Amino acid sequence: MFVLSIIKDTVAVHPSHFGLPPQQAITNELNKKYANRVLHDVGLCVCVFDLAEVGEGKVRYGDGFLWYKVVLRMVVFRPFASEVILAKVKSSDEDGIRLTLGFFDDIYIPRIFLPEPSAFDPNERAYFWVADPDSITPDLLDTPLTSRMYIDAGEVVRVRVEADEFYDDEPGPPKAQEGVMVNGQSKEREGRRAPYTITCSIAEQGLGPVPWWKNAGMEAMDEEG
Amino acid sequence: MEVVDRRSALLSNYEVLTLLRELESDHLAKARTALRIKKEEEASGSPVKHHVVQEEVCENLRTIEVEAIQYLAAEHQPTGAQSDDGIVQLTKKLSAYDLAKAEKLQIVNLAPTEPVELYVIVEELEDRFGDRIDDMLQTVRSSLTKTVDAEVKTSAEASAEPAPQTYYANEDAYMDDHWEHDANEIVFDDTGEGAGIEGDLDVDDD
Repeated sequence: MFVLSIIKDTVAVHPSHFGLPPQQAITNELNKKYANRVLHDVGLCVCVFDLAEVGEGKVRYGDGFLWYKVVLRMVVFRPFASEVILAKVKSSDEDGIRLTLGFFDDIYIPRIFLPEPSAFDPNERAYFWVADPDSITPDLLDTPLTSRMYIDAGEVVRVRVEADEFYDDEPGPPKAQEGVMVNGQSKEREGRRAPYTITCSIAEQGLGPVPWWKNAGMEAMDEEG
Repeated sequence: MEVVDRRSALLSNYEVLTLLRELESDHLAKARTALRIKKEEEASGSPVKHHVVQEEVCENLRTIEVEAIQYLAAEHQPTGAQSDDGIVQLTKKLSAYDLAKAEKLQIVNLAPTEPVELYVIVEELEDRFGDRIDDMLQTVRSSLTKTVDAEVKTSAEASAEPAPQTYYANEDAYMDDHWEHDANEIVFDDTGEGAGIEGDLDVDDD
């Protein structure tokens, strides 16, 4: 789920940091710029892994900064498609389940990637899966409670990454009618979509809440397969 | 800014965790030295000008550092039972099987100890490996169990260091500890020379 990305950049080091070893000062500067930010089509930057190449520091006309040309390796969070990861359920709604990793929480399981047959229980605000084929009823909400396997908030789930998407939204000019929010609210939500979202699936044997499969032996797999 | 290579190498969770913990302990050590220097200056009573370079703390880095460590060291992750040697051995042994790179990485990351878990990671497990599945699981298990002693050892080493932060052993206690200690916080020391000035002023008012 983590990768190393090679990035080329130019860094300015402020004179007040000249006391530090240059390597340290440059790393600090780079971390300040990249850490916990999403780079378009790259992923969520975690921290600088190491500096591969650093040019000579140059002072330019106009400021006292030392400018370095740097090639660095960055630790980036970017799970690849079909990778299996562990995540926690953050919340559920009619559209699907939202997951969190703690440091990243724009991970979603849309309805189509839930195991069949499953339904959303509006009272519990959680999805459930009916594993036993005998207890399936036309309306899943009529199934006996004992046959439902709920996916509750806070539960650890094993998910497969299906796709990821990057959005690069420009902030755009400030709106004139800041005060009027009735119509603006939905637009604002649209405009503020996450820069990086991951779509996951649990519609597969072995995926879903970890306890579901804790003691499932090979027999179960063979039957289903 | 130019991205030369988006994915030059893959990192395992364990590697990232180790790196982040290094950063974290570096950071804590620095915060502690800064505090000590400050205290010493105060003790000597001479208001020396700050010629020591104060490294500013990058909030974003701290945030992701702490949150990622929390995730990677959580109970449901196998990283707690893993060690450098264990992983090296595991990857060596796994090379005997005809696994794709991504599959190997996931085996290291998730350390599957049950067939179901392995089914999810390895494509067409049954057809490709059939009766060797149990061997594979055993390999993973052996890479983990061995590390229980190693784990104890590292935490013992950690606590033997001059700065006994036992965060390897007790993550929760460490987290609590951390939240209370804000590196950017200015510590107001009320016990120094200036103590009691406020009270004196009150007396003057009377």
